[in-house]
Amino acid sequence: MAKLLEVNHLSITIGTAKGEVQAVRDVSFSLSAGETLAIVGESGCGKSVMCKGIARLLPPSARIRSGSISIKGEEITQYGEKDMRRLRGKRFSMIFQDPMTSLNPTMTIGTQIGEAVKVQEPWISRGELEERVIELMELVGIENPRERRRMYPCHLSGGMRQRSVIAIALAGNPELLIGDEPTTALDVRIQAQILELFREIQKKRNTGLILVTHDMGVVARAADRVAVMYAGKIVETGTVEEIFYDPRHPYTQGLLQSLPWFSRGKDTLYAIPGMPPTLIDPPKGDAFACRNVQALQIDYEEEPPMFPVTDTHFAATWLLDKRAPKIPAVFSGEEGGKRKKIQGDILLNVEHLTCFFPLTKKTLVRAVEDVSFQIRKGEIFGLVGESGCGKSTLARCIMNICKPQGGKITMNGVDVWDPKSYARNRKMLQRERQLIFQDSDSSLNPHMKVWDIITEPMKIQGMTSPRGSLRAEAAFQMHYVGLDPAYLEQYPTELSGGQRQRVAIARALVTEPELLVADEPLASLDVSIQAQIVNLFRHLQQEHGFSFLFIAHDLTMVAFLCDRVGVMHQGRLVEVASTEELFSNPRHPYTKALLAAAAVPDPRQGTARRKNQ
Amino acid sequence: MIKQSKGVYYGKKILLFILSVFLLSAAVFFISRLAPGDPLVSYYGDRAERMSFQERQWAEEKLGLTDSLPVQYIRWLGRAFQGDFGISYKYKRDVTEVIGERVGNTLILGGIGFLLIFGLALLLGVFCALHEEQLTDRIICRIGIVTSCIPEFWLSLLLILIFAVNLKWLPSGGAYTVGGAGEMGDRIRHLILPLLAVVTGHLWYYAYMIRNRILEETRADYVLLARSKGVKKSSILLKHCLRNALPSYFSIMAISVPHILGGTYMIEMVFSYPGIGTLAYESARYKDYNLLMVLCMLSGIGVILCSMAAQIINERIDPRIRNNPIMEGMEEG
Amino acid sequence: MKEQFAIVGIIPASEKERVQKRKWYQGKPVFPMVFLALIIAGCFACDLIMTKDPAYLDLKNFNVAPNREFLFGTDSMGRDIFSMIWYGGRTSLVIGIVATALSAAVGIIFGALSGSMPEWADGVLMRFTEILLSVPGLLLVVFLQAILGKANVLSISFVIGITSWMSIAKVVRTEVRELRTREYVIVSKCMGGGFFHILWKHLTPNFISAIMFMVILNIRNAIVAESALSFMGLGLPVEEISWGSMLSLSENALLTNAWWIILIPGMFLLITLVCVTDLGNYLRRRFNRKESNL
Repeated sequence: MAKLLEVNHLSITIGTAKGEVQAVRDVSFSLSAGETLAIVGESGCGKSVMCKGIARLLPPSARIRSGSISIKGEEITQYGEKDMRRLRGKRFSMIFQDPMTSLNPTMTIGTQIGEAVKVQEPWISRGELEERVIELMELVGIENPRERRRMYPCHLSGGMRQRSVIAIALAGNPELLIGDEPTTALDVRIQAQILELFREIQKKRNTGLILVTHDMGVVARAADRVAVMYAGKIVETGTVEEIFYDPRHPYTQGLLQSLPWFSRGKDTLYAIPGMPPTLIDPPKGDAFACRNVQALQIDYEEEPPMFPVTDTHFAATWLLDKRAPKIPAVFSGEEGGKRKKIQGDILLNVEHLTCFFPLTKKTLVRAVEDVSFQIRKGEIFGLVGESGCGKSTLARCIMNICKPQGGKITMNGVDVWDPKSYARNRKMLQRERQLIFQDSDSSLNPHMKVWDIITEPMKIQGMTSPRGSLRAEAAFQMHYVGLDPAYLEQYPTELSGGQRQRVAIARALVTEPELLVADEPLASLDVSIQAQIVNLFRHLQQEHGFSFLFIAHDLTMVAFLCDRVGVMHQGRLVEVASTEELFSNPRHPYTKALLAAAAVPDPRQGTARRKNQ
Repeated sequence: MIKQSKGVYYGKKILLFILSVFLLSAAVFFISRLAPGDPLVSYYGDRAERMSFQERQWAEEKLGLTDSLPVQYIRWLGRAFQGDFGISYKYKRDVTEVIGERVGNTLILGGIGFLLIFGLALLLGVFCALHEEQLTDRIICRIGIVTSCIPEFWLSLLLILIFAVNLKWLPSGGAYTVGGAGEMGDRIRHLILPLLAVVTGHLWYYAYMIRNRILEETRADYVLLARSKGVKKSSILLKHCLRNALPSYFSIMAISVPHILGGTYMIEMVFSYPGIGTLAYESARYKDYNLLMVLCMLSGIGVILCSMAAQIINERIDPRIRNNPIMEGMEEG
Repeated sequence: MKEQFAIVGIIPASEKERVQKRKWYQGKPVFPMVFLALIIAGCFACDLIMTKDPAYLDLKNFNVAPNREFLFGTDSMGRDIFSMIWYGGRTSLVIGIVATALSAAVGIIFGALSGSMPEWADGVLMRFTEILLSVPGLLLVVFLQAILGKANVLSISFVIGITSWMSIAKVVRTEVRELRTREYVIVSKCMGGGFFHILWKHLTPNFISAIMFMVILNIRNAIVAESALSFMGLGLPVEEISWGSMLSLSENALLTNAWWIILIPGMFLLITLVCVTDLGNYLRRRFNRKESNL
């Protein structure tokens, strides 16, 4: 019997202004009914392009260069739009990353689901259509479907929206679901629910699922088999257990090792050096060689074929060749002693802080309510919570951006919201507190050069550099955060995400502040780059004694980096404890729920948990 | 969300409308009176310059120009409520009478022109969006850009030169043949050229706008989802993208009423078409206050009504305009 | 063969100079740019091109159709149209540029101010621009010009400029509102960056690309407005030569069927406008480029 999906030697290119990007290079894999295949890789590795390629939803600039795709033995590579339309919805459906934008904002949920049903059965009667829509909404776990179907996407929460998207995808009873980062935009607890929903649907309908993700935790939790992509190629494929417990390709090994989960108790994370290559002109041989400390000469010369490890496990690395030297996989972060308890003076003291926003004339949103905690000198204090829990607002209050309605924030004994003491200590506060945001297009001014960005605080503060010129100062800071000073004259758009984040950190460090407030500094960065940045934070803390308020939604990262952690829920700080204590003995039910939902990159634990539920 | 009853909703709209009209009238009144210039010239013509001081004073008193401005305004307002908008200085007749004679002609020209532009632009925009970057789209875009650059008065001149002077197919001006008024066919023949000028002058700007808005929408993620459902490209464009592009189109069209009206005025002048365009131009130039006032109010009310209509329609289409989003924007602030 | 499997570690990839396949002019509006350059050069170097004195009233040769001596014919006052085109083009272009400079300056300042003010003040200022927008632009111009009295190049530029800044102000205001919430602006504020520092360093460079095409199109609109005003007899007098004042003779030309008086200056005007529009549209496209999902 033919496999549900078979992809052979697929290559896809995308035309851009700079040249033709070889986004997918010679990729082959297959999928059986009822199976879940996870495709993991970092951003730009071609995983998303490949999925859209299979569904033939690529933008006009992209072209399938060679290879074949067949669904249930039906060869679809040469199909035109009309033929594809016949298959879409019925044979396969797609689910996209952001349920906010993938639903049409001006149509009700019911209409949009109904449209999907109607495509499959154009002559369906009105009443029947309604019944089907309600049935589908029930299937994906939307309560009160009769009322909810008249609602617009903007009235639903993120999880509900993603459920609606799944309902749309299931309308034609497809045999294959392709999820392009379907859980990335969601909170941990919702993420777990959606993954669970996928499981249920698969059980009921024997649907095949391709799950594209960058999150190893999601993979461990949901996948049967895994394909690891790097630089447009699949470098390793195998069952979940094989990939997690016996990775063969140095990239897979590095990817797993750079997760904080694998470096628990250590001081630094393992970080893959360098960055992925650009695919306009991909390197010869193994694309990963230039980031592999143990690369072989042949890696630079010839492309490795897929070597079989077992019947199900394949890896494209010359290390599996008979002639290759045996190298034990020695990847690990630096060992550190037990972490010292930090006993410095109190740097920042937040007492009973409360902050509202008027939502409409009558209702208020309590963004932050009665929050108290301290940060000591030289400490990394972590603040965890789901989106909308008020953690960013808290950061804004500390940075004098949002005015709190109650409570007190003192830094070095100075009340930052008291107009008098603020005016007296304005310079000190502006220098000693600095802010780092999540990397995005708007974190750095796209019209300023790197050196200009880094030295902006000095110019504003009228400081002179101890290193002579501002340019020399910028070069020094760049060196300090591990950035090549060759980028001095470049614009932020020419840098990669990790490099931009280093620039943002350098800008924050230039006034030598005592407190760095980092608001989700790792979100939107790739795993291997996250590890680099985390190590940088750790280095800054240990060697130079900076203190951090580290805001994140990723529990494992917080557990690894922070000395103490506060958990926020609906504006309240529900629990504050040292990291060890919080993770080994969570007290508050919300903390427990959060910990339970966190996707742990360990398939055995994942399955065990799944069975328990 | 507290649901408002329909009555409260429309009541609020009507109140807002009255307030806007009131403000508009005050603004026009004060600006026009504060501007330098001699209104007596428009009433008495050249005679005004030769008047003695006493004669001037008597004339000003007669026209009610000696009181302070607020008093003048309140008096105007009081009379306006009784339907008396004063007399035109130039025509020495009731303003309403002067305008009444001509407003119909402008409404026919402007109204039909506006509707044609509105409809044709939509059709053309959708057609171009369907054929994005294909040959037909490119050709239409090219022609469109050139036509949109032609100044209206020059286009009118060209049309007259070609169709009236040289080919002698159509009349060169007026709203009807003098003497033989009232005939339908005759009026239509007089309408063709001015209408052509109005429509050609404005059409492309709006067509291009709606084309680009639709194409912007095709960049949204929901298009991908709709395609992966198996919906046809053309029906995605018409059902999803067009629907989301329409609110901004309606708003723009509403704001454009004065723009198109201004263009109509110009064209009326070239074709010596007896509408309010020529009146507006003269009243602004010669300080025919009462006339200017009513003309400005008329176009202002038109604009306000159109914006309100657009707003009501848009609220029907897009739930996000109706009520502020509750789910989002908390974290990002 | 053995060396192939030696461990060599990381060899940094040599930075390959990527060959630029596209020539600099590709994707740029070449024809409009060339035409525009020719017209501008011709107008500003009109002394070198003109075959006659453009202001000389050759009463023997009025309404002469184009011939060898008068390349584009003469107008009803006997002036040589060929010379007038270049000479008058200069006036029209200057009016276009001065008016646009004024409207851009007012628009940017007003918009930036409104965008950075608290919400209620912003609301008031925006209502004000909307009221101005709801008055037919031409009526406003006519009215202002009537106040200012007899027109000259400067006064007409002023009137056009002062009545056409509203749309720029609206866009600047929206952009500033949006930019204000950008992270780099917030960070800059935290570091103690003042209003003018942020306006100059962070806001201006970012909204300038958004309004560039509007500014370019405003040049076009200003040129059109001048010609329309002059045509109505409110703009420049017939003695002061511009494309607009040349066209103001065309109503009489209709009676004598002197097509060249209408057609030739109009064509020049039109070509200039189309070129300017193309340039503006090019800038607009460059500003937002994304691929269709359809």
